[in-house]
Amino acid sequence: MARASVQPAQVLEPDVDDATKSDKPWIVIVWNDPINLMSYVTFVFQKLFGYSLEKATELMLDVHHKGRAVVSNGSRERAEFDVYRLHEHGLWATMEHETS
Amino acid sequence: MGDDGARNIVKTYKGPLVRTKDGTYKLALPKDQCELLTHLITELRDSLLTTTDDASLRRLFPTAYHNDAKKDAEYQRLMREELLASRLSSIETTLKVISSSNELSESEVDAFARSINSLRLVIGTSLDIAESDYSDTAATAASSNSDSEIPDADQDELAEQELVQHELYDFLGWLLEWTVIAQSAGL
Repeated sequence: MARASVQPAQVLEPDVDDATKSDKPWIVIVWNDPINLMSYVTFVFQKLFGYSLEKATELMLDVHHKGRAVVSNGSRERAEFDVYRLHEHGLWATMEHETS
Repeated sequence: MGDDGARNIVKTYKGPLVRTKDGTYKLALPKDQCELLTHLITELRDSLLTTTDDASLRRLFPTAYHNDAKKDAEYQRLMREELLASRLSSIETTLKVISSSNELSESEVDAFARSINSLRLVIGTSLDIAESDYSDTAATAASSNSDSEIPDADQDELAEQELVQHELYDFLGWLLEWTVIAQSAGL
């Protein structure tokens, strides 16, 4: 018969950092770069997210003047999808957990 | 970001790409510009097929998780090939419409815009374009090697090459601007 093991079982500790953040949405950030045309960035925001010209222009100007703008948020999967589409269009986009 | 050049003259000049009433697009570029675009885009395709790790191509494959290297590595492992395939598909579509058609569908003009922008990103990266470069690109190119140890003849050649790169960069910006104007008419 096999003897009962006295070895401690290996337990996977949850990633506390991820666990505490899991209820917060992810945000997609577009960063300023000197190459992409302002008109092109505005158009991409309209096309990908359905924003009005005014909203897309406001976001583009935030990118231009403040260095970054949050263009969408949601689940991790949704954020990765948006980041991918922005990368397809040549925009410099990243994602992170919302901090507040 | 770069300024918009063509919008100022949009009402008085018909651009190289226009949207028609039936929702398609007409591309009207001179033969020499079509040949130039074909050459540039073919070069980009060949570079992408060789490697995606070259420094000049880094803007085409950006980081997704800027503050989490582990998650970004996983993202790149899953998505980089897909992004490469998407870029190559756009390039093939663009080569096709430049060589065989002057009428583009919505999806073709979208591929065209992304390919032109990819070229701008690559050339702009190699030129190390900064925000302040928009007003004096030619002057910068002409003077950029003046203080180095490179012999005069080589300096002249480098300056000439850089000037050509700046002219290509400006041409692509002009073409993309008109493409955006045409696409915006369909929103």
